[in-house]
Amino acid sequence: MHLALPDYLIILLYFAVVLTVGFMIKYKIKTTNDFLMSSRSVPLWITSLAFISANLGAQEVIGMAASGAKYGIMTSHFYWLGAIPAMVFLGIFMMPFYYGSRARSVPEYLALRFDDKTRSLNAVAFAVMTIFSSGISLYALALLMKIILGWSFEFSVFMAAGIVLIYTFLGGLTSAVYNEVLQFFLIVLGIAPVVFIGLHEAGGWSGIARNLPDNMLHTWKNMGSVNDNPMGVNGWGMAMGLGFVMSFGYWCTDFLVVQRAMIARNMSAARRTPIIASFPKMLMPFIVIAPGLIAMALTNAHADFSLPLKPDGRTDFDMALPSLIAHYYPSGLLGVGVTALLASFMSGMAGNVTAFNTVFTFDIYQAHIKKDGTDEHYLLVGKLATVFGILASIGTAYLTAGFNNLNDFLQLVFSFVNGPLFATFLLGMFWKRTTGHGAFWGLLLGTVFAGIFHGVTVAEGKGGWLGLNIYEFHSGMGQAFGVATVAWVCCFVFSILVSLLTKPKEEKELEGLVYSLTPRLKDPKNPVYLAIAMIILGIILNLLFF
Amino acid sequence: MQKLTDLRFIIGLFFSLSGVVLLGTYFAIEQTNHPQMNLYAGGVMLLFGLFMLLMFARGDAADA
Repeated sequence: MHLALPDYLIILLYFAVVLTVGFMIKYKIKTTNDFLMSSRSVPLWITSLAFISANLGAQEVIGMAASGAKYGIMTSHFYWLGAIPAMVFLGIFMMPFYYGSRARSVPEYLALRFDDKTRSLNAVAFAVMTIFSSGISLYALALLMKIILGWSFEFSVFMAAGIVLIYTFLGGLTSAVYNEVLQFFLIVLGIAPVVFIGLHEAGGWSGIARNLPDNMLHTWKNMGSVNDNPMGVNGWGMAMGLGFVMSFGYWCTDFLVVQRAMIARNMSAARRTPIIASFPKMLMPFIVIAPGLIAMALTNAHADFSLPLKPDGRTDFDMALPSLIAHYYPSGLLGVGVTALLASFMSGMAGNVTAFNTVFTFDIYQAHIKKDGTDEHYLLVGKLATVFGILASIGTAYLTAGFNNLNDFLQLVFSFVNGPLFATFLLGMFWKRTTGHGAFWGLLLGTVFAGIFHGVTVAEGKGGWLGLNIYEFHSGMGQAFGVATVAWVCCFVFSILVSLLTKPKEEKELEGLVYSLTPRLKDPKNPVYLAIAMIILGIILNLLFF
Repeated sequence: MQKLTDLRFIIGLFFSLSGVVLLGTYFAIEQTNHPQMNLYAGGVMLLFGLFMLLMFARGDAADA
């Protein structure tokens, strides 16, 4: 694929705008609060779009198209079964505690609700995860640009990291959030044309349906047995593993996304942020999953497009979206498509770095290294943490490039760590008897048992590292859902057992942190009706593609 | 400076200029690979950009 002058113009225009945003917002940054929390003054429409944009990184844009090509419409369960209910739950039930407690981060809420060791465990795990996620995003960007544009690995890594560093260092979280919103529109408007062209080339929906097996065209119809669908997961595994544990674990507890709601201007806006965001979120499958279906249908139809193969002869599903863009876009629009891909990677990286610098400054540095520093001191630490986060991401990108299986390994570790977290929050917010010891040991043992479960099960040749094989999953996705479920159940059970054996906090210390001890909110803009509407729309989409 | 950091202005400017580039490409460069998509996408981006600029011009600073 070769870029022409109009394509470079679009790319340069995008870089100029994101850098200009950083330079302009720099003048608004006076305090740590400005830099790391946007002074909690961001309008609702921006927090809502940033909320889904922070998640609209490489994994979402490239990965969901790949899953669409591999598994079909079932991939939409990540949205219509997983994300939507979780985002609504966050807005209605959990945001009052995050925002109302005035915690500056998710780990800080854990400190207020439980104790410092639970906060530290979560903060360190989250900080490491964000650095690796950011580095993997950078690695994937460089690899993609090398394949489709022939750019050198070093050029892509340092160009993307340099731009993200400049605008996050200068403008902090506000700059990252502003750019995320710009990136959201760019990704939607840059990728939507591929769906229109692809539908036209494939002969519309009926043409796609003719060229794909029936089990790729339904969300629920083939979920009675693991043998009936390409994902190899049954309805229970899907509902529990993805719909409950993984989705609620991510959307309700991952500071990367929750941070976007926590910087809203008031409690009402913070609650409505994830609920309003759930509307564009439920439409995203038409942008990010549909290209995968189209690519597979065109390949099966032996049209002039086909999915590329890996060196070992297997289909390279990850190239579904980039190869459609490269194949069908004319010069000009090609620049928009490439910029949209660049934006998705940079958005993911900036989101991780801005979450990292906040958690490092408040939950690691201020909590353990220097408790009584001045605001200027913490602002400096926040800025240095941003630089360190970017440099560490570059290091991680090279580490990932050097070890073929590192990416898979890290994704697995992330699932071990994230899986049990929602159990900790659920118990902490809704059962006042939960203790700090219970939360800490629940998290730790949930992670350990998830690792053990992975060590005794196998899927697609992976897992079983303990030398035992008590169950073979039909797909890696099914194994991931299983691991997450085990992590959640173990964390839940051990948290309860240890809590019952240890002394809880006084009730007056838990006011505003636990549901039963917190006065009900009197919000004139009650988001409950909006939440119900979103759930109904989600159900309708499930039924339409049943 | 306060006005220029309004996100509606930033988004509006970016998409208006991108739309102009795509429309310019459609009229100036002859292509065989779905050239009309530059016209449609450029038109949509230009309209969206102008809409955001209009919102910026009409809106109050609290929504910036």
